[in-house]
Amino acid sequence: MRLILFDLDTPKRRNFYPIALSRPIWEMRVGMSSLAEKMIKKLGATDVAYFLPAYLAATYKARASGAKVNDKAALAGDDLLLLSGRLKAAGITVAKTGPSEVGTAEDGEILYARINKADIGKVSGATIEQFLASAAKAIGTVKSATPAWDYTWDLILANPHQITDDFKELGRSGIEGTIEEPSGLRGSKKDVFVGKGAVIHPMAVIDAAEGPVYLDEGVEVHPFSRIEGPCYIGKNSILLGAKCREGNSVGPMCRLGGEIEESIIQGYSNKYHDGFLGHAYVGEWVNLGALTTNSDLKNDYSSVSVMLDGKKGTDTGSTKVGSLIGDHTKTSIGTLLNTGSYVGAMCLIMATGKPLPKYVPSFSWFLEGVVTKGFGRNKLFDTAKIAMSRRKQTFDQNQLDLYNHIFELTKPERMEAVKKGRKVMLGK
Amino acid sequence: MPSVEDRVKAVTARVLKVDADSVKSEQNFGSDLGAESVQSIELVASFEEEFGIEMDEDAALSVDTVGGAVDFITKVCQEQGVSV
Repeated sequence: MRLILFDLDTPKRRNFYPIALSRPIWEMRVGMSSLAEKMIKKLGATDVAYFLPAYLAATYKARASGAKVNDKAALAGDDLLLLSGRLKAAGITVAKTGPSEVGTAEDGEILYARINKADIGKVSGATIEQFLASAAKAIGTVKSATPAWDYTWDLILANPHQITDDFKELGRSGIEGTIEEPSGLRGSKKDVFVGKGAVIHPMAVIDAAEGPVYLDEGVEVHPFSRIEGPCYIGKNSILLGAKCREGNSVGPMCRLGGEIEESIIQGYSNKYHDGFLGHAYVGEWVNLGALTTNSDLKNDYSSVSVMLDGKKGTDTGSTKVGSLIGDHTKTSIGTLLNTGSYVGAMCLIMATGKPLPKYVPSFSWFLEGVVTKGFGRNKLFDTAKIAMSRRKQTFDQNQLDLYNHIFELTKPERMEAVKKGRKVMLGK
Repeated sequence: MPSVEDRVKAVTARVLKVDADSVKSEQNFGSDLGAESVQSIELVASFEEEFGIEMDEDAALSVDTVGGAVDFITKVCQEQGVSV
């Protein structure tokens, strides 16, 4: 059986922006791993292929070295199980084998397709969208209750429980790294894992009383950090006196300080200094300047809405949602983010002392309290090159092509915001 | 209709808060007219609004002088079919 994950270029993709602007939805994190890792593990798949919007293919292929990406040949030659990249792995009940079947949600969206090798001849299509539509027509569909993630904040809100579930499923605990004395370990040792090469400096506290703490290989925890479980810290990330409250998942190579609560950080991002980050999802290569703080709770305790398109808010149904911050965005010292803020990719934010607008489109230069075109995208690319080189990564031609595409993709909402900003800037 | 040069000088004077008559073609926005980095962004925005054009930020911000801006804007207007 070949497992195929697909991420179609549909309006629902926007629900995962700005994080999914630069990656397939299945690369997003929840708990201790990505959505893809969870689905692959659940199904025990060894042969996996991926279909995603064309503009994401080159950079994804570079990351998933050797993987079949947008390769039509992967749609033949074996029994196929195609899964939407936003399915909740724990809720997948479709069997790996059985008669061909296409499962759809109530709105008709295809969630999965199991196509036996013998039936592949009945299906055709030049694109993955056409292939799935053809499968639905040739095989017929069944309504499926397979659960899917609908919005980025679903991942944030599920994260604490998911870490606990993942830790339990992995069944790994113990100290393979170094804990320097005096140390503070609260709760049970069986709820703590410290990976190889990880170093916990003296005077750091690991509190696993309310949930497990998993510190991956090479993690470094500086003195006066406090890590409350459930928590996952990815490889080679460093906590610098951080107040790491419960429910955080952090990818590799991050630098974290200040107070962080129930947030997901994709990786390679810095929040080095004081300031509060709560119920947020932060992409890669983000730098949050000192005292950058987000609100995750409204003063009237009403549910938080998030503007995903810059026009109207979507009610999250939760009283706790912080910020969604896209890759390569940098905030200045003292940046204040309103409850449920959306800050796109490749933004440069210069704080004014007031909270930012709730929607800042990608590639915005937020200066003097308004969205501007600023010094253009090339200056942002120059910064990205420097930031990535500091972590031995390269902003290469594929990255350049990706972000040039995102620049065009996000131009309408950016120009709308720029026009509004000009009315203020030019006093019109 | 005022010339492109007159309009560029008028916008420059308004944004940088200098006397319009003192703005000369050969003057540098930064070293001669005191434009700070944020003001250069404001200048680009103001030129786009004045002429109803869209300029590439990198190209526009590489223009140093008032005369250079006149030439650049004239070229962009021609390319974008804006009569001046």
